[in-house]
Amino acid sequence: MNRAEIVIVGAGISGLSIAYNLAKKGMKNIVVLDKSHFLAGATARCGAGVRQQWATELNCILARKSIEFFSHANETLNYHRDIEFKQGGYLILSTSKEEDIQFEKNVKLQNSLGIPTKHLTKDEALKIVPHLNPDSFTTATFCETDGHINPFLMSEAYYLAAQKLGVEFHFFNEVEDIVLEDGKIAKVITDKMEIQTNKVVDAAGGYAQEIGGMVGIDIPVYSENHEILVTERATQMLEPMVMSFSKNIYCQQVPHGSIMMGRNNPNALHNHDVSSSWRFLDKMAKTVNHILPEVAKQRVIRTWGGLYNITPDFQPIISDSNVKGFYIACGYSGHGFMFAPITGELLTEIILGEPLEYYAKALHMDRFNDMDKIDKEHSVV
Amino acid sequence: MRVKEHPILNFNHQNEIHFTYNEKPMVGYEGDTIGAALYDNGIRHFSDSVVHKRPRGLYCAIGNCGSCYMQVNGVENVKTCMTLLEDDMRVISEVDEDKDD
Repeated sequence: MNRAEIVIVGAGISGLSIAYNLAKKGMKNIVVLDKSHFLAGATARCGAGVRQQWATELNCILARKSIEFFSHANETLNYHRDIEFKQGGYLILSTSKEEDIQFEKNVKLQNSLGIPTKHLTKDEALKIVPHLNPDSFTTATFCETDGHINPFLMSEAYYLAAQKLGVEFHFFNEVEDIVLEDGKIAKVITDKMEIQTNKVVDAAGGYAQEIGGMVGIDIPVYSENHEILVTERATQMLEPMVMSFSKNIYCQQVPHGSIMMGRNNPNALHNHDVSSSWRFLDKMAKTVNHILPEVAKQRVIRTWGGLYNITPDFQPIISDSNVKGFYIACGYSGHGFMFAPITGELLTEIILGEPLEYYAKALHMDRFNDMDKIDKEHSVV
Repeated sequence: MRVKEHPILNFNHQNEIHFTYNEKPMVGYEGDTIGAALYDNGIRHFSDSVVHKRPRGLYCAIGNCGSCYMQVNGVENVKTCMTLLEDDMRVISEVDEDKDD
């Protein structure tokens, strides 16, 4: 029977970052399992924007630290290609007095944490994105170091770096059960093999709840489908990511010219559906036609869906648990890609029992024991 | 290059249509698509592949593949294989015409 020091469930961006960070700290015999092929889940389906403009201190810190990593990821991971980190900024539109006031608070918080966000007037925003419909917003916030990364290349960079450090990957290995002995992790059983281990990381993204259930933990997360589309290539017309929480849109042109955009569906069911719907296309088209009429002239070539894994406060769970040897990195609420670098660093500290950064305690799953005290993130699409 | 005689089809190439391709004047016939008229004028290199910038020509000719996209009268991404030629059309491709193979 195979033996592993640790088994990481899920080879998405979180699992990759955790595997890489553990291996870098010298851990041997790391096994990563995935139920499908490489990049079949949410990582490959995501919008891949990376931003620091958040409304909670915790999310701001996680984002800032992750962007520090992304900005030198090619060199750090010794990647032979380029992760295509385009720092064109995020322009977030406000559409009401109330939102203006909230954004003023957000900018103050972000600035206090070293994030260079600015609150812009309508004219200043129009200078950055001249195609904006001036009647569709009131003010905007802009952070020039936010941006966009190619999620496939970023994942490959982590994968190759982890592999070079000895991490073993097994694809098409679906975890079916995790066996406990005396309350401790003993064995992971997949549809293809069994692995003896005392440590398991749940980085299963949309399926994190199910993996938690295998050791009797009810992780307070659910999954829902978020749809997205991509257009044909167009000449450069959109430098930053344009986003609005109230209008429910994010929209970004990637370096080779295609424009990607998505929105959430308030009526989405809590399940594992990742299909595409005409309703999404209809609402997305209306929204983008209102905010960015020039962008709306582009032809759509593809739509798809991916799973958000959502916590009650829209902030991730990065923690150990009351089952010895079972660690959790899930519930990113749509932002797992952009938080991946810090996820790997923090969970590695937790697993190795190293002293934790002060803010990391707030990522523990125990915070949901008292739901009245949670600090809820509102800046979400 | 144009089929002039065909066992069962008749071609009636009477009404000339004048257009420009990359600023060069060219002539096609009524009923031609832009792509067909370009082909008749000896143009084979329609676009470049995304990553390696290799030449791409008229390929599927039914609007699916994307190889024939050009800018027509200022509009990007026009499917020249499916768009009928009109008088005074200004057709622009972004290819390096000297690099044909």
